[in-house]
Parts: sequence; structure tokens; C-alpha cells
Amino acid sequence: MRMVDTLTFGAIAMVFIAATIYLGWFGYTRTKKAEDYLLAGRKVHPIILALSYGATFLSTAAIVGFGGVSGQLGMGTIWLIMLNILLGILIAFIVFGKRTRRLGKRLKALTFPDLLGKAYDSPFMQAASSLVILIGMPLYTAAVLIGGSRFIEASLGVDYDMALLGFALIVTVYVAFGGIIAVMYNDALQGAIMLIGMVILLALTYSLLGGIEVAHADLTALTSQVPGGLAAIGHQGWTFFPEFGSSLWFTFFTTIILGVGVGVLAQPQLVVRFMTADSDKVLNRAIAVGGPFVLLVTGGAYTVGALTNVYFYNEYGMLSQDYVGGNIDSIIPTYVNEAMPELFVAVFILALLAAALSTLSSLMHTMGTTAGYDLWRYMRTMAKDSRLNFKDVLHGNEGASAHAASYKASQYGTVVMIVASVIVAYYMPGSIVARATAMFMGLCASAFLPAFAYALFNERPSLKAAKASIVIGTVVWFLWTALVHIKESSVLGISEFFFDKPALLGQPWEVVDPLMLALPLSAITLFVVAHATRAEALEGIAVAE
Amino acid sequence: LLGIEDPYIWTGYLMAIGCAVVCVIYGLLKWNEDGDEDG
Repeated sequence: MRMVDTLTFGAIAMVFIAATIYLGWFGYTRTKKAEDYLLAGRKVHPIILALSYGATFLSTAAIVGFGGVSGQLGMGTIWLIMLNILLGILIAFIVFGKRTRRLGKRLKALTFPDLLGKAYDSPFMQAASSLVILIGMPLYTAAVLIGGSRFIEASLGVDYDMALLGFALIVTVYVAFGGIIAVMYNDALQGAIMLIGMVILLALTYSLLGGIEVAHADLTALTSQVPGGLAAIGHQGWTFFPEFGSSLWFTFFTTIILGVGVGVLAQPQLVVRFMTADSDKVLNRAIAVGGPFVLLVTGGAYTVGALTNVYFYNEYGMLSQDYVGGNIDSIIPTYVNEAMPELFVAVFILALLAAALSTLSSLMHTMGTTAGYDLWRYMRTMAKDSRLNFKDVLHGNEGASAHAASYKASQYGTVVMIVASVIVAYYMPGSIVARATAMFMGLCASAFLPAFAYALFNERPSLKAAKASIVIGTVVWFLWTALVHIKESSVLGISEFFFDKPALLGQPWEVVDPLMLALPLSAITLFVVAHATRAEALEGIAVAE
Repeated sequence: LLGIEDPYIWTGYLMAIGCAVVCVIYGLLKWNEDGDEDG
């Protein structure tokens, strides 16, 4: 990849880093107590909320990765965007967000595990969800960290290790000191940069290719150039959806359904955003900003991804995937470097770094507060004060000193989790990086979604049902991932170690995503146990009468 | 439509844009609505 002019990028990057540190300081001065550090005092502005949610939701992988997929497979990825807006914004805010905000405020919950714990009046729910977060989230965090550092290495020529440490250091400074206020204001700045970058990219691309209609018509005209291998599995051209029922059609369908991830609805770092609003009004206003944000950022990247074929074909007589040597992740960065003016290349690199930083900082904050606020208070109680029981901790009855200490613990927790993520990033096998995002979303959905939705929609949800659901969802997901789903099991090596083969079951099971099994089982378990316990309770009432 | 022939693609675009427009309209209509305040 051609490298951007260091001086141009250096100047822009300095302004950006100065703004980032200023917003970190801004957060620090406005953080007085645990509620500020964890939820920004529940007083976030709707535009900040919308941009923060959107920027956290869309990482660099969502832009560059799926932009590359569009370059290879065409504009069918637009359906992913449609569902992202429908599920990730409209349904998430209107159906889940408002209830989450109200429940969180009523129960005085400060984090996602705290919300689950208090909704079920159960320390177990708080501790179990904390453990799932602390085991699953470092994987996703490390993947974002690695992706961002590799991108800096390729585009700026900075040493990979330096890039990784630099990333971690910047995030540590503003997350650990400034808490969620710093995280969300920085998210908003980063989101704005992403938005500007993608809109300019789309506009310049259309102008470069002779206008919207001409560009699309030229892309349609490339249909005859679809490589034989892709045509055989259902590729009908870049302005066409894959042939109905073909294997590519199935890939599109499952990617769209799984890629949107029902998982988006139960990701702790996103759920917590709803609790930072002080009224439904703030969420309503945020929807008006969030929908267009997701449309423009991802719509810009995916449309440009497909159109790169016209550019590379006109310039070099080659398709995008051939020009980049088969690595579709580099379609978007290569195109930007080749086709865009120098100044814009710097803006675009900044936009992608912003996308990585915004996702990273929110994950760090969620892990840090989970370790420092949710888990540490139980451990402190066990070690120090035998008169308190876990229910006292759950309801925050440990006294003022413990409350003040929980704020400090969240800060320390954040630093510890950043160090842990850097270590995971160093030791994680390369082949698992591409899977880590999907793994994390699958785990979140399987473990949390049924119990979380049940708590939101029931006045008195059954604790037994929620416990059973979270345990079944997590265990099934882990077993299927480690032993059956070939993409992960072959890398993890657990099946190989115990059974001398990379995956325990053969076709078709080894390609069935863990989520497809774990989520339905988790939901069915919840339903069955809730029904049984309700029948038990009704019987009890009848006997008493 | 705008150089795209396949209805599965341009419907996708129209629906994606439509969803974003619904977001804006919803937000504007409910700009000052607080909902049932039970928290």
C-alpha cells in the first residue's frame, strides 16, 4: 500500500490526539462519583448518545471488512445495512432502549451485570454475567486492537508493536481517568470523523466515475467479468443479488442474519448507553441521528466497495479482488490510496482509526467497570466483612466508603483489563482474529438475550428460568465452539487434544454456527423453566387457599 | 433505477434509506415526548 504523506497525516493526527486528550480531561473534571464514571450521571445529550452508540456499534471491521465483501460479492450487502438500521437502531432503541432506561433508573442499576442482578434480585446473575463478559470480551477487544494496529502499520509504516502500545496508551489515558463521559464525547468526535470521511469518500467516488447513474451502469456492464468460480456458486454481477437458493445466496442470508446479530440487542457496551439517558425524549431524539448515521457510514463504505471494481477495471483492466491479490480486506484501503487525493487519504485513515478507537474504548470501559464495580465488590465483601451478605452488595448497602472505593476500583479495573487485552492481542492466534467479533456477538446473544429480554418485559421474572437460560446458553455456545464448529474448534485444538480430530461431528454440523443452536436452546430453556415455576407458584397459592 | 436493474438490490437501497427516514420522522415527531415516566 502506498503510504500517506507523513507530514500531512502527522499534522491532522496531532490535532486529533489533542482533542482526544482534551475530551479525556473534560470527562475527568465532570466525574465526581461512581454514577458519573459508569453512566455519565444519566445526563447525556441525544446527539452525543446517538453518535456514541453508532460509532461503538460500527468498528473498523464493519467498514473495511464488509466494504471488501461488497467489492467481491456486490451490492447485496445493502440488506445488511437495512437490517442494521431496523434492528440495531429502530427496534433496539424503541423496544429495548426505552425499557432498559426505565428499568435501570428504577433499580438504580449502573452497569449491564448490575441491571441483570437487580432485575432478578440475584447476586448470581450479576456475577455470572460479569464472568461471561470478562471471558468473552477480551477476545473481541484484542481483535479490534490487532486490526487497528495492523492498519496503522500498513498505512503509516509505524512498527506494529509500537502501534499496539500507542493505541492502548491513548485509550488508557482517557478511559481510566475520564470514565464514560470521556468515552462518549470521544465516541461522538470519532463518529463525526467517520461520517465526514465516508460521505466524502462516496461523493468523490461518484464524481470520479462520472455520476451515480453512469457508475452503476458501468458496474452492471462488468457482469460478464464475474470470475467463473464465483459465478458457479451464484454470483450474478455486482449490481445483482446472488441467485436464489445458490450457495452464495445462503452465505449472504446467514451472514446478514448472523452479521446483524440478533446479538446487537444484548451487547453490554451498547445496552449501557441506553441507561445514560435521563428521559425517553433523549432516546427519541437520538434515533433521528442514529439511523442516518448508520446509513451513511456503512452505506458509503459498502457502495464504494462494489464500485471499486469499475475504477480498477477502467484503470488496470482488473477486478478489485484480483488487483489486491485476493485479500479483500485491503480493497477499500488500496482504493482510497490509489484513487483519492492526498489530503483525503489522511482524513480517511483518521476515520478508520476513529472507528477502531471508539469501539475499543467502549469495550475497555465495559470490561473495566465489570471487573472493578460488579465483581470486585463481592470479592471485597468476602474478604473483609462477614456481616454483609451478597444481597447487601447487590443493592449497594455496603456503606459510603465502599461506594467511593467502587469508583476507584472501576478505574483500576479498566487499567487491568487494558493490560490483559494487550497481552491477549500478543498471544492470540492470527486465525482466530477474523472470527473473534462473530464469536463475541454469538456468545452475548446466547448467554444474555433471552434473560435480558425476559427481565425487560416481565414485572416479576422467574430467577430460576433466567439462571437456567444463561447457563445453558453459555455452556452450549462454548461446547459447540470448542468441539464442533470447525472454524473455531480447529484453531482452539481442544477437540484435537481429547478426540484426535479437529471437530467432533462431521458435516453438516461443523458449519452450523454456535449461535444457531445455543440461542434457541437458551430461549427454550427460559420458556420451559418459567412456565414450570409459574405452575409451581400457582399450585402453591391454590394449596394455601 | 439509477443504473441498477435488479429489484432485489434497488429495493434494498430504498428500504435502507426508508428505514433511516423513518428514524428521522420518528425522532422529530417524538422530539419532546417523554413516554410514561416510571423511572
